[in-house]
Amino acid sequence: MTELPAPVAAFEQARRRILRRRRLDALLGLLVFSALLAISAQRSQFFGADIGGDPLGRIGVFLGRMVPDLQAHALLEGRKTHGSLAWWYYDLPLWLRSLRQTIEMAVLATVAGAALAALAGFACARNLMPIPAVRFVVRRALEFIRTLPDLIVALLLVAAFGVGPLAGVITLTLSTVGGLGKLFAEANESVDGRPLEALEASGAGLAKKIRYGVLPQVLPGYASYALLRLEGNVAAAAALGIVGAGGIGIELQRAITYTEFDTYLAILLLIVGMIFVIDIGSELIRHRLIGLGGKR
Amino acid sequence: MSTALNKARQLAPRAIAPSWTDRAVRGVVVVAALASLYAMAADLEISLEAFGKGGEKLIRFLGAMVPPSDGHDPMRIVRALGETFAMAFLGTVLAALAALPLGLIGAKTVVSDPTLHFAFRRTPDLFRGARALVWALTFVAAFGLGPFGGVLALAIADVPGLAKLYAEAIENADEKAVEGLRAAGAPAPVMLRYGLFPQVAPLMASQTLFYLEANFRHAAVLGIVGAGGIGFELEERIRIFAFSQVSFIVILYVLCVAALDTVSQQIRSRLA
Repeated sequence: MTELPAPVAAFEQARRRILRRRRLDALLGLLVFSALLAISAQRSQFFGADIGGDPLGRIGVFLGRMVPDLQAHALLEGRKTHGSLAWWYYDLPLWLRSLRQTIEMAVLATVAGAALAALAGFACARNLMPIPAVRFVVRRALEFIRTLPDLIVALLLVAAFGVGPLAGVITLTLSTVGGLGKLFAEANESVDGRPLEALEASGAGLAKKIRYGVLPQVLPGYASYALLRLEGNVAAAAALGIVGAGGIGIELQRAITYTEFDTYLAILLLIVGMIFVIDIGSELIRHRLIGLGGKR
Repeated sequence: MSTALNKARQLAPRAIAPSWTDRAVRGVVVVAALASLYAMAADLEISLEAFGKGGEKLIRFLGAMVPPSDGHDPMRIVRALGETFAMAFLGTVLAALAALPLGLIGAKTVVSDPTLHFAFRRTPDLFRGARALVWALTFVAAFGLGPFGGVLALAIADVPGLAKLYAEAIENADEKAVEGLRAAGAPAPVMLRYGLFPQVAPLMASQTLFYLEANFRHAAVLGIVGAGGIGFELEERIRIFAFSQVSFIVILYVLCVAALDTVSQQIRSRLA
């Protein structure tokens, strides 16, 4: 074998070293990953779980029970006729009311949460709040709120405020403050500083600086974030009812408890449809707000 | 000063002094918005009185939370936290496995048929609203109590979002590497492995880690509907008003979330 020139040999050596290290890294990563996977599978009893016979069969049986027994010839008959659409959606007025309440919960919580988040966002923006201690406390508080899962908070609030929408609205308001507060603060910090300087030079106080220097720049962004949050809050409000915090989720939970699986499917379809419509509407508004109107 | 002001008024009359009609319109909009918010609150039977009464109770609950107590069985809580992580991890892995082929199909650059692409992109939107909890409710009803339903719920709830992110990562990858391989006559698997994979793998891995973090939060509540983990322990203790144990669990849980987020952030910053 011919001797390689010195630079080529050095290159080959370095390359081999890098490859070896990469392979070692990959191997180590794979080991950790497989160990975690094995422990997870064991801890969650995923594969050993006694779920009564074959899982696919169980899914099949369950899906079968969810599909309503609709009859083609009776589809448009009244509520009393077995197999009609009205028979499947027998409690539609109540469900529509619950859906309306779910949306109302989301709207109230989004408005209240956005208002509080705006205050919090000013209180922890580096360019607006001069006292570092306040910024620190507000930031940590927002972080803590974001860590707590909605439904745990809802459980606690249902215990305090009783079963009903109030607990749900407070839960969603809290989580909205946590989420939007951070986004609003980031929007505040990324504003163009020149209008602020001009206002300060002409002797404006903090309130005037916010009103004329910050708000005109951040308001479209705020509105777009809040609408995005509204979409999330509608979906969350629908789920909150499962722990008794008001809205359509209560009906969902009731249907499961009474093993009315076809009713469960009916309500689930209503929820999915509502969220789909709201998402599309809010997307249209958001694209107009941030100037994408003509593009889609 | 008045000359400058007058000039400004002439240039932009509505900016300096809004007309009365503008102000009236704005006032009406504000009043209508407030009135509709009030109507909503009334429809939900939200009153200051209920708020105050519940608030008093809540303060009592919060007072009962200190000092936290482990309820003489801390290992049980640690085990439940472990089970919650196990559910989150397994659910994320299953979701990633299912989302990978879907992401490839959904990427415009891989599959160019527009109908297929549209169907793929819009179908997940339909399911976006169904949260993990709703799936868990369904699967617990189908498979009985236990973490099995929880893992499935997390996995299925994640697939639409993850597939969309994967598809976007693949679409944003640089075409040139794939083209070069194609020009050299490489078969499709080789093109994927050496043209696409090195570009998208770090991005996809870090997005999957984000989902793992989120799933640890989601998994914590699945116990409420009977899908195992820490949520079950928490609900039980809230139901019997054992608030000192509730605060113990919450503190431990928040620490675990912080630890997982830190580790995952470390890995993500190394991937980038």
